[in-house]
Amino acid sequence: MTQPIAGAAARPEASIVERDLLATLNPLGRAGHIWIASLVGVCLLALVAYIYQLASGLHVTAMRDYVSWGAYMTNFVFFIGISHAGTLISAILRITNAGWRRPITRMAEAITVLALMVGASMVVIDMGRPDRILYLLIHGRLQSPILWDLVSVTTYITGSFLYLYVAMIPDMPILARFARERGRSPRLVRLYEILSLGFRETPEHRRRLTRALGAMAVIIIPVAVSVHTVVSWVFGMTLRPGWHSTIFGPYFVIGAIFSGTAAIITAMAVFRRAYRLERYLLPEHFQRLATLLLALSLLYGYFTLSEYLTAWYGGFGSDSRLLALLAGSTAYGTSFWLWGVFGLFIPIGLLVMPSRRSLTAIVTASVLINIGMWIKRYLIIVPTLETPFIPAQAAGITPHYFPSLVECTITAGAFAAFLLLFTLFSRIFPILSVWETLEDADEAESKVAGERASRHSSLAPAGLTILLIAGALTSVVPWARASAQVQKPVPRIELTRSMVDSQDMLVAKVSANGRPVVHAVVEFSVTRTFGVMTLGQDTTRDDGTARVGFPVGLPGDARGELKFRVTIESPSDLIGPPVEVVLAGGAPRVAFIDNVPRALWSSRAPLPMVATIIFLLLCVWITYAFVVIQLIAMRRLKEHA
Amino acid sequence: MKMPRREFLRAGLLAAGGLTAGTVGADRLLGAGAKSSGPRAAATLALTADGELVVTPSAEYAALAQTSDEVRRGIPGRRWVMVFDLAACDGCGQCALACAKNHFIPTDREYLRIFKMQDSPDLAPYWFPRPCFHCDNPPCTRVCPVGATFKREDGIVLIDNERCIGCRFCMAACPYSVRVFNWSRPNDPPEAHTRGYSPEWGYPRRVGTVEKCDFCADMAREGKLPHCSSHCPMGAIWFGDENDDAVTNSAGKTVRLSKLLRDRAGFRYMEELGTKPRVFYLPAVNRQYPAPNEPGANHGNLPRGGETQSAQ
Ligand code: SF4
Ligand code: SF4
Repeated sequence: MTQPIAGAAARPEASIVERDLLATLNPLGRAGHIWIASLVGVCLLALVAYIYQLASGLHVTAMRDYVSWGAYMTNFVFFIGISHAGTLISAILRITNAGWRRPITRMAEAITVLALMVGASMVVIDMGRPDRILYLLIHGRLQSPILWDLVSVTTYITGSFLYLYVAMIPDMPILARFARERGRSPRLVRLYEILSLGFRETPEHRRRLTRALGAMAVIIIPVAVSVHTVVSWVFGMTLRPGWHSTIFGPYFVIGAIFSGTAAIITAMAVFRRAYRLERYLLPEHFQRLATLLLALSLLYGYFTLSEYLTAWYGGFGSDSRLLALLAGSTAYGTSFWLWGVFGLFIPIGLLVMPSRRSLTAIVTASVLINIGMWIKRYLIIVPTLETPFIPAQAAGITPHYFPSLVECTITAGAFAAFLLLFTLFSRIFPILSVWETLEDADEAESKVAGERASRHSSLAPAGLTILLIAGALTSVVPWARASAQVQKPVPRIELTRSMVDSQDMLVAKVSANGRPVVHAVVEFSVTRTFGVMTLGQDTTRDDGTARVGFPVGLPGDARGELKFRVTIESPSDLIGPPVEVVLAGGAPRVAFIDNVPRALWSSRAPLPMVATIIFLLLCVWITYAFVVIQLIAMRRLKEHA
Repeated sequence: MKMPRREFLRAGLLAAGGLTAGTVGADRLLGAGAKSSGPRAAATLALTADGELVVTPSAEYAALAQTSDEVRRGIPGRRWVMVFDLAACDGCGQCALACAKNHFIPTDREYLRIFKMQDSPDLAPYWFPRPCFHCDNPPCTRVCPVGATFKREDGIVLIDNERCIGCRFCMAACPYSVRVFNWSRPNDPPEAHTRGYSPEWGYPRRVGTVEKCDFCADMAREGKLPHCSSHCPMGAIWFGDENDDAVTNSAGKTVRLSKLLRDRAGFRYMEELGTKPRVFYLPAVNRQYPAPNEPGANHGNLPRGGETQSAQ
């Protein structure tokens, strides 16, 4: 059975289009009220769960020390993923001037903005200390992928708001008129009027709008790509099996567009049914998106294959352990293969034959893909955390994670909030772009290091030529005084560093009552922070000297000095407290942090990284500014008129 | 799910956002907030971020609280290292016990964890005590968004629990699963409240923040060995200053670090990760105690045992 391609065949009259498309703004029926009420209910439940979590700490989740991220992070990746479809698809279709995009773009753009808001809030919910969120601004470190996330998600939210809004401007006068005719509240009329910026169908207005829209459509694509790349890097930048993968950026971006497209198709199907938009959301639109979805699912399958096949074939120990958990005979393995079948192969099967795919098949595939992609994200996050490099099992611990009731409630709340926001949006603004559906206007086109650990290996050669005589007999003096009364022979020890037979030696000269002491056993040691390190023992020769090798290269204190200790071990009548002597000749200490003031781990970011981030941001924000300038110019036109 | 009113109020306070600490002593607020430089004023009464009222004797507080800058810089000229002699470790778990006692660690976590490792069925099992490695290229510190975890000049990697936002990125980034989290509100014993908070000892704990082995930075400041090292009955844990080129163990023996590592074929765990740990191991050759699983062998983490992770 072939679906008729209905295209631009019978185009209904403008007034009818308006009536149909603005039908979403009509007062709700009973079903609508129930729908909204139940969404609000779920959201409130989630709010209660969150307050409970705030009060008791994250202990109420199932996350623990090994699996420290779970459902919230999964939601975060999922919603950010969905958001991609939106802007990315609408922008690509606008740039390529695909005529069939017209009824789809508004929905896609709205999904983006709303999914982003829900996604971003998931990170806050995941935080242990949401009260300290401002520290991200006060103490933010550019080296952290979380900061990259913060920056790119903020940029993306701003951009997609702007994009959604710019594309909505021409609808605003229509809406204002409509609301007035229907006797809606004057405040609503006023809102539409303000938002319209005085847009009218004049060439100048049109020119400004085209320009703004063109610029936005171009700039939003790299921003969208960057956002999901950076989200993937939160995982990819760590040293974890299953995460530290070079293809994670593109893998996540494709995954995002994949799930986003499926989300759009699902939303289209729902709105089509709920608001009777069959005349505008034609099977053709579904078919086109289905082709895109098919391509994306093949691509995602390809990425998945190359990700896991290389890990499996290469067979690194840690990768193998992860794969045994992820794809073996475990609960994760079952989910993984179920995902493979229901989230990938069955959708591909449903989509692969253009002549055979019915609307039901397309929508079924989309729903399966959406559910599957949530599970896939979960499978990317959790099993990796359960298989760290040092197996927890070796300490008698079995990491395990399954979302707790609180997490499930908050997750349900996130979905409810998304649907609620979407519903409310569609109550205030037309979910299909009225002006784009009405027109065949052409759209404008346009276009878009490392740790320098230069260790100063200042190999200060131990000054062999230095011959120092230091006679700091610190502890001897009081001891000598005390023992003088006991008539004990008073040993006198002189310590020097000298060359003996061209060897660098530490020489102790022992004498008592002015004569050298022979055959005394002398122990040499050197003081270190937590103890005294023995260097060796020697017996005094005829001239009363004993010697050991000088500890060449042993670091000294801040001044390069070493504190030696000489102790007489025998004969017993000479044994006494050690003699401490400070000699120069210690190796210089290695300054540590000064060598790497801008390492990835230090407090300031490497300059090339800072420069790159600032440059990229400037490119985007200057484009935003350009768009805003167009809008201001539009508003001025009205004042002159 | 009935919540005590106090809890509810507290939650409301948190939810209101931004407001963390109602303080009597304003210094607390400063300490938790922006870069607090200079010594903290002696506080007598303070409401912590966790909503607990802490009464601290002023003199003691002032004497013990380091300035933030000092704590962040570390002890100049030092580069602490630790060496585990796997041939001497008999898995008795005294180190972990001493660590737990002195850091008031709750029973659900360990800073120093003893693993029973066996690299392959053909090879003998051995005990593997694992503290934080205080990596010189620390992945955990790289990813911290707010600099709550930081690397000091003396090599120690510490956590400022008054700055940590609880994102747990560092837990994911540490390849050795060292970091643990305050999932629930802390229940520290009264002794943990006697000296105020400093990243150098990490208590009193803060809910929703991360913690780990701190190399006993406070002990090093006093010239004392870390608790694990000084409590090891086998003398298997050597600690010292790389700038001294010497390490000392619980028996009071001090040896030259470079020679020890050379003669005993010292290694660092998973060198290939490039993290440059400050903790070395000496291979378990010529052991003088029963290997794990042999008759008479110890159980590794004996007195405390690890909590099995489970869903609620
Ligand atoms: S062992 Fe882990 S927590 Fe310790 S410094 Fe290295 S990466 Fe950080
Ligand atoms: S959990 Fe705390 S210490 Fe760890 S990365 Fe996040 S803010 Fe930094």
